[in-house]
Amino acid sequence: MATSDLTPVRTRMLGREVSFNVSQPWLSFWLVIMRLIAGWWLLHAGLDKLAGWPFDASWFVGGAAAGTSIGPFVTMFSSGAGLAFTNVAVPVGQLLIGLGLVFGALTRTAAFFGAFQMMFFYFINGETGGWAHGVVTGELLGILIFGMIATLGAGRVLGVDAYLADTKFFRNHPRLQYLIG
Amino acid sequence: MYVGGGLVVLGTVAIGLIEMVAGSPHPVSGEGQIVHEALVPLEIRSYIILLGLLVWGAYAVYKVAAGDRATGTARREIGTQQTE
Repeated sequence: MATSDLTPVRTRMLGREVSFNVSQPWLSFWLVIMRLIAGWWLLHAGLDKLAGWPFDASWFVGGAAAGTSIGPFVTMFSSGAGLAFTNVAVPVGQLLIGLGLVFGALTRTAAFFGAFQMMFFYFINGETGGWAHGVVTGELLGILIFGMIATLGAGRVLGVDAYLADTKFFRNHPRLQYLIG
Repeated sequence: MYVGGGLVVLGTVAIGLIEMVAGSPHPVSGEGQIVHEALVPLEIRSYIILLGLLVWGAYAVYKVAAGDRATGTARREIGTQQTE
């Protein structure tokens, strides 16, 4: 790997100087791979649910969630309007998050909501089994990967966000960088 | 970020190490599941990790609502200079 492909990272963490080099082509490559696979993960989940429409979440938000640490919050969505909302929000949300990540559009927003959904799945799937598969499960790793995708702005690599970030509208509203990128 | 991260690492790594060193044995069942008496109650461990994740989430929402341009974010490719 030619040394000119490296970009230096120099910062301070916990009061110490931290400095290392990152390979630019490999970083770009991994960002795209992570984004595609994490995006497909949710896109596939959403498409599966749409193919099996109507989707019913009541077994999960009602039965499975009761008794978990987030149970008191989640069970509010287990009947009536809350359940109706959840039955649409989960499949459509997964579809949109998946599409956003795969195409790199509004990537930070998609990654945030992906992590948000994963949080519910992590705790409900984990606790109902007594954490029988350990506390570090696929859902937790998903949260970390979504966090990485959002932090590094993976949508800007071979993604729609690269185009969006160049538009005048985006340049006039710098706060959009937290939603796009 | 560090508070949230610290809580998540505490819940996963630190308590995990304590369980390994001082807790009861974890036999793995035929289906790859672990059933054991936990030293630190599993509920408490869940709450610690949940709290850490919630702190991260709150930080993300705060940044979107109140953040300025992040220092160092490039608007253009390296090489084109623009006066702001």
